[in-house]
Amino acid sequence: MSKVEAIHYGDRKVYAVAAFNRGVAEWLQRLPTVWVEGEVTELRRNARWQSVFFTLKDPNDGACLGVTIARSRFDALRLDLADGERVHVFGRPELFEARGDFRMRALSIERFGLGDHLAALERLKKKLAAEGVFERKRPLPFLPRKIGLVTGNDAAAKKDVLATISARFPGARIVVAETLVQGPLAANAMIEALRAIAAAPEVDVVVLSRGGGSFEDLLPFSDEKLVRAIAACPLPVVSAVGHEQDSPLCDFAADARASTPTAAARLVVPDAGELLARLDRTRSGLARGARGVVDRRRERLAQAHHRLRRAPTLAVERKRSRLEHAAGRLRALSPRATLERGYAIVRTHDEIVRTTSAVSSGDEVEVEVADGRFGARVE
Amino acid sequence: MSAEQTFEDAQRELEQIVERLERGEAGLDEAITLWERGEELYKLCVGRLDAAQGKIEELARRAEQTRP
Repeated sequence: MSKVEAIHYGDRKVYAVAAFNRGVAEWLQRLPTVWVEGEVTELRRNARWQSVFFTLKDPNDGACLGVTIARSRFDALRLDLADGERVHVFGRPELFEARGDFRMRALSIERFGLGDHLAALERLKKKLAAEGVFERKRPLPFLPRKIGLVTGNDAAAKKDVLATISARFPGARIVVAETLVQGPLAANAMIEALRAIAAAPEVDVVVLSRGGGSFEDLLPFSDEKLVRAIAACPLPVVSAVGHEQDSPLCDFAADARASTPTAAARLVVPDAGELLARLDRTRSGLARGARGVVDRRRERLAQAHHRLRRAPTLAVERKRSRLEHAAGRLRALSPRATLERGYAIVRTHDEIVRTTSAVSSGDEVEVEVADGRFGARVE
Repeated sequence: MSAEQTFEDAQRELEQIVERLERGEAGLDEAITLWERGEELYKLCVGRLDAAQGKIEELARRAEQTRP
């Protein structure tokens, strides 16, 4: 490697353009080969050129990188690339010395379409599932003291969640941590925000929220480090990311998943109106129940009282009828009835005559018949 | 109804008296005594119910006023 020579003008060290470019180019060559992902644009291939040129564009922010690859190598890959296709390029940075152009010298190119992306995510999902990262499902608090909201600084999404939570439970207290939710820095920023908000005093549940977006927009929510951070979060986490059809991996690691801000609100706070209505119903039930107890007692008491009022009369009636019965039997047993049938009782000296030897001829006796007595003499 | 006799105890005693009277087991003099005791229990029970009802209505009214 030739040494880059400078010209000296007194104290000043000056490089020729070629020397400067060569110096930078040599320095760049020490950098390692890496994979870079982007979209292919401005692909230029000419059969007379040694190299194929294209520009790799970052779909998130439009950053561009010129790429060259040897034509023979490019043709051997048989990729048949078209503008706009997502690729992974393996190569190293390079400076084209003659023009001072920075670019990437590609050694290999792989198409990386949506399918490849999904396959990579699926592999990650399987790996995390096998580790048990998705198994932790903790119950959400019925009424959290404070709700932590990790959200993008995108006003609409944040306002949506705040509004729905407040509408459902007007007294809800929400701590908001705004963070990047898109681009290569988003995952780390969200991990940091999640950690900070989980450590905030009185926060009992965390909502991770982001509005809808493209598949690429939501990619940070499938970042392995973020997914693990959610699973390891000391507080229950609700994932409210994207729309119903999206399923970023953070959804699986979270304790609950909500497809809309409204659904997230329903998960983290109870409906205050419904709670009050139920309380009201319970309270009226309370008064009704208490009145019912008294009413039932009163009715039973009234019955007992009614019976009590009748009881003495009943008792006297019963005794009277027994008395009548006894009188009847008494009457049946008296000798009067016998006398009425024609029998008579004979007495002498007030003793009833039962045998003939009890009297002698000439004795005075008294005869009693049904309606009275008369005297007689024994013959 | 003595101080420690609950409403339920008084009610039970009253009902036992009624049953005894209705079965006609009691002598006439005893029946009169039982009846007087029954009336006394009845009055005390009604008094307790009235007091309970008054308290309930009072509480219900107060609850109405503090409706959220």
